[in-house]
Amino acid sequence: MNAYAASFAVSCKAEDRTGVDTLQREARLNRFFADVEKRALRIAEISIRDRDEALDLVQDAMIKLARKYADRPFEEWTPLFYRILQNRIRDWQRRQMVRNRVMVFFGRGNEDDDYDPIAAAPDTAGRAPDEELQSREAMQSLEVAVSNLPGRQREAFMLRTFEGLDVAGTAGAMGCSEGSVKTHYSRAIHSLRESLGEHWQ
Amino acid sequence: MNERNNTTADGEFVDQAKKLFDESVDRLDGETRSKLNRGRQVALAEIRSGSRRWVQWAPAGGVAVAAVAALVVWMGNPQFDMMDSPEVASDMEILLTEDSLEMLEDLEFYSWIEFDGETIESDESGNNVG
Repeated sequence: MNAYAASFAVSCKAEDRTGVDTLQREARLNRFFADVEKRALRIAEISIRDRDEALDLVQDAMIKLARKYADRPFEEWTPLFYRILQNRIRDWQRRQMVRNRVMVFFGRGNEDDDYDPIAAAPDTAGRAPDEELQSREAMQSLEVAVSNLPGRQREAFMLRTFEGLDVAGTAGAMGCSEGSVKTHYSRAIHSLRESLGEHWQ
Repeated sequence: MNERNNTTADGEFVDQAKKLFDESVDRLDGETRSKLNRGRQVALAEIRSGSRRWVQWAPAGGVAVAAVAALVVWMGNPQFDMMDSPEVASDMEILLTEDSLEMLEDLEFYSWIEFDGETIESDESGNNVG
């Protein structure tokens, strides 16, 4: 959890004691979503390698959190949100596997193989071109390596490293024990270091 | 020693991965940010519609609670014919009107009125002052 989220959690605890009405809850949820949505989008995008689909999944996760869990304490929102998102990602991947099998059966290839991370890369600002290129290339290699990890290792790595959740929060988001999170995370790091090599930066 | 080196290298790797990820988040273009914002507004509208749903069902819920309460009272005193008693009939009438539900929603306000009234009375009588 970053410093902003930590200080926000403290202020929310104080509000919880006095009770909050719909408007306050909406404002808090708005701040929470604004804080988490961009990282969540990138995490979903790395998992499924499709930005538009990732946007839909993040929106679905936000809607479900707002509809079902907005009354829960703020501390629970991040693990709950990522649990919903990870479930959405897994469902999407399952549907995609079935769809690909059907496409192969009918003799049509997987159009998603045409995904080009460079073409999909966004605009940039304020960085030297060579630095920018280096950063993009390194991130591109990392994304490919992360997306090739087994599902649970990928989830553990992204939630711990990219979102900054602690072991307990990651376990809550993944719906598994803290011990499993540690194992998946450790294996993920070793696999990634091995596949990216020593010269990756 | 070797294990410590590995742990340090793991830490450096994680720091670098996090840095690259954060940079990729910062590079998100305006259109994507705008789509995220729209998605967030749709999600927040759920809270508003959720609270409206609650208000919509509140009168029905209030009537159901009142009916259950009446049934419990009647079951406890089967020999007592409720509707023959003007006081009980009048209470039921009050409970079943929608105004009473509004009053329940403003309970905090009414408790404040009551508290304020007591304070004024005690101030005027001078018993509890000082």
